[in-house]
Amino acid sequence: MKSAVKILCGIAAASVLVALSVMCGTRFYTPAELLDILSSDRSSPAFSVIVNLRVPRILMTLAVGASLSVSGTVFQAILKNPLADPYLIGVSSGAACGAAIAIVLSLDYVWIMVFSFIGSLAVIFVVFLLSKRLKLGSTPLILSGVALGFILSSTVLLIFAVSRAEKVHQAVMWLMGDFSIARYDMLPLMGVLSILLIGLVFCYRKHLDVISIGELYAHNLGITPFSVRVLFWSAAFLAALSVSLCGVVGFVGLIVPHVARKAVGPLHAVLIPSAAIGGAFFLMAADTLGRSLAVPYEIPVGIVTGFAGGLFFLFFIAGGREYA
Amino acid sequence: MNLFSVHNITAGYGKQQVLDAVSFSINEGEFVGMIGPNGSGKSTLIKLLAGNMAGTSGTVEFKGKALARYKTGTLAREFSVVHQFAGSLLPFTVYDFIMMGRFPHRSLLEYRTAEDRESVARAIDLTGIRSIQQRRITELSGGEARLVTIACALAQNDRIIILDEPVANLDIKHAMLIMDILHDLNRAGSTVIIVLHDINLAAGYCSRILGLKNGRLFLDDSTERAITYKNIELLYDTLCITGTDPVSKKPHVYPVPGYVVRK
Repeated sequence: MKSAVKILCGIAAASVLVALSVMCGTRFYTPAELLDILSSDRSSPAFSVIVNLRVPRILMTLAVGASLSVSGTVFQAILKNPLADPYLIGVSSGAACGAAIAIVLSLDYVWIMVFSFIGSLAVIFVVFLLSKRLKLGSTPLILSGVALGFILSSTVLLIFAVSRAEKVHQAVMWLMGDFSIARYDMLPLMGVLSILLIGLVFCYRKHLDVISIGELYAHNLGITPFSVRVLFWSAAFLAALSVSLCGVVGFVGLIVPHVARKAVGPLHAVLIPSAAIGGAFFLMAADTLGRSLAVPYEIPVGIVTGFAGGLFFLFFIAGGREYA
Repeated sequence: MNLFSVHNITAGYGKQQVLDAVSFSINEGEFVGMIGPNGSGKSTLIKLLAGNMAGTSGTVEFKGKALARYKTGTLAREFSVVHQFAGSLLPFTVYDFIMMGRFPHRSLLEYRTAEDRESVARAIDLTGIRSIQQRRITELSGGEARLVTIACALAQNDRIIILDEPVANLDIKHAMLIMDILHDLNRAGSTVIIVLHDINLAAGYCSRILGLKNGRLFLDDSTERAITYKNIELLYDTLCITGTDPVSKKPHVYPVPGYVVRK
């Protein structure tokens, strides 16, 4: 009974947040106006703005936020490092490198997506190969991810140095993470894939618990390398998909799992759904702020998550005891 | 029934050889204590028995079949292992942590069956930690944390238990409590293989002693025959006298101050 009430409250709160997010933007619509627009002329520009731009964009932020956050939760467990996130092992730098190449070559949006997806998966593959030599969860593996990141960001800067200014600007916007560049015809694909992958990760929730308590124990409790691989690649795909659709949105994969763990505890059966929901709404809220704060301009969502997340994290760590 | 047979096993890390041609076998129902100086290869031997590492030569068999030929999940259902460094960075509750012991008994889609809850409740009762089952494992004392890892192992499998120094750094109450729990299990038919630094605990509880020195099996005998001042002096390179515990009638070892051999 108690949990049913909680779930109903959660659904109500989520609906209010989504409604608020639909109302906000370059032009603010009151609920009455909104209902009016949606019930009247389907060919009006306002109708088109809401149905073809705001709603898909909100759905995209929800999918990407949930994906990044679940990906971070998985990486923190399998790398046994509470400060790990998908970007730490090079997802973002690989994607950035791929996207920068596509943008400088003046390729189409689809190609930017494909290039950045391939870029991030290529880096993850290198980290995966390294993990056979250096143990998963060991400091050397994480450091080699960081080192790969340095090499790739230097490559990105090198590409910038020899490119024209407007291309560089476009690439920088992408690097900051920006939903205004996302193409919403990708939404069904992203939606389906993220739900499938998050569902797969959820099936392995008890594996994540056991993996997080250390290698020897995990081995003697029957964790196979196969299950670790399933989790590694699911998390990697979630992050790579997100990043290739809307650029490098920072902090979601690091902060949301942290806060969720504080709120609901470390048991992954509860943590994964919480992180997914938390990440989805955090990113939606950040994007809503980004497109309503400085009208007529848009602040890329990566900047909002960076500011909000960084500040929040700072207070969170300063207020907590266990990060000594 | 023969559980573990180790034939001529040699093992090490990289170029450093830790175990040298060790052979022995362990039968069902034994309470085997492994003793020996630091660095003599006890933990390595435990890792070999538990299947965490492979030897460079020689074989380890479990129930007549090479350990390496078992699936990880099968072995996890056959025996449980308590390693030296247990615990987690993550603040699981004691109950949730012990529930992880049930992991090998569940399929991918099963989650906490009635049987799991029963096993966990039994392990909690056996170790007497009901009062702390909702605490976070990161907030426990050393003794409580050790009891929780043992409860986790018991929930996993209480028929064959392998433990690497489960009572190191514990006060005598917690140390005796853990040894008593293992003793009771052994009386009920469980096989216990345990690494101990306290020779007197080994003498008091184990039915058989394996002594390791410099990676070689130096001693393998029943407790009464193994715990003599000659054996212990040679094993640890220090002067000892032995006596008999007036209550338990088990052998007792007293190291004599000032006589350790310095190299």
